[in-house]
Amino acid sequence: FRFKDSLAEELQSADLVISHAGAGSCLETLEKGKPLIVVINDKLMDNHQLELAKQLHRDGYVLYCNCSTLVETLQSMNLSALKPFPPGQPEKFASFLDEVFGLQ
Amino acid sequence: TGGHTTEILRLLSCLSESYSPRHYVLADSDKMSEAKIRSFEQKRAETFSKSQFSLDRIPRSREVRQSWISSVVTTLYSILYSLPLTYKRKPDLILCNGPGTCIPVCLSAFLLGLLRIKRTIIVYVESICRVETLSLSGKILYYFSDYFIVQWPELKKKYPKSVYLGRIV
Repeated sequence: FRFKDSLAEELQSADLVISHAGAGSCLETLEKGKPLIVVINDKLMDNHQLELAKQLHRDGYVLYCNCSTLVETLQSMNLSALKPFPPGQPEKFASFLDEVFGLQ
Repeated sequence: TGGHTTEILRLLSCLSESYSPRHYVLADSDKMSEAKIRSFEQKRAETFSKSQFSLDRIPRSREVRQSWISSVVTTLYSILYSLPLTYKRKPDLILCNGPGTCIPVCLSAFLLGLLRIKRTIIVYVESICRVETLSLSGKILYYFSDYFIVQWPELKKKYPKSVYLGRIV
């Protein structure tokens, strides 16, 4: 398919996800606990999208390659070395705002 | 738009009902956010029955990669809409996270503050995608916001006046 409102179903049943470096795709996949290989397309890529993919890779959450090294990566990947991705904590934001407004 | 809306709704997820009514401002060209917002507010109303919200649209202030000069013009045009809207709502708090739409709204609030009409607290949360560099909105609002929140330590180092709470979305 070209476009779907939500990939939640597909993600739920996947064993491995190969995706571009869009933040939404990366984060949604990691939050579902699925192993992820991020493929960077240097020609299309907006520099700032790379920042998140690189950081996630540095922190050990995703594998990372470009179009030409994808096959190699698939052949040599060690998915168990990937770390589980801890969820974000919006409650910290709520506490922060409560402090700002003096509501505790 | 898309990612920004998802992030902001996550930021709202743990807020108490003191933060109500919520007024959402969207770009006129944004087709997807309204559904996400309504769905969020509907769920919220299941827990907090007195929950209130509204949705307003203003002209989109800037397309991705639009030139600097034309961006100033289109932003000024958006301000023509955002100024009466902000004046009408007189928010205590503006929460934004980066789409061009936030600039006219924040500038309107800033102006109303200078004119002593309403003092609004502006809280900016830079997107989780921004690890090493700020978005254009971020670079501007770093100077105009009351609280500027970043989600990665490198940004806290580069922008010392920012607040770092870790990943909050």
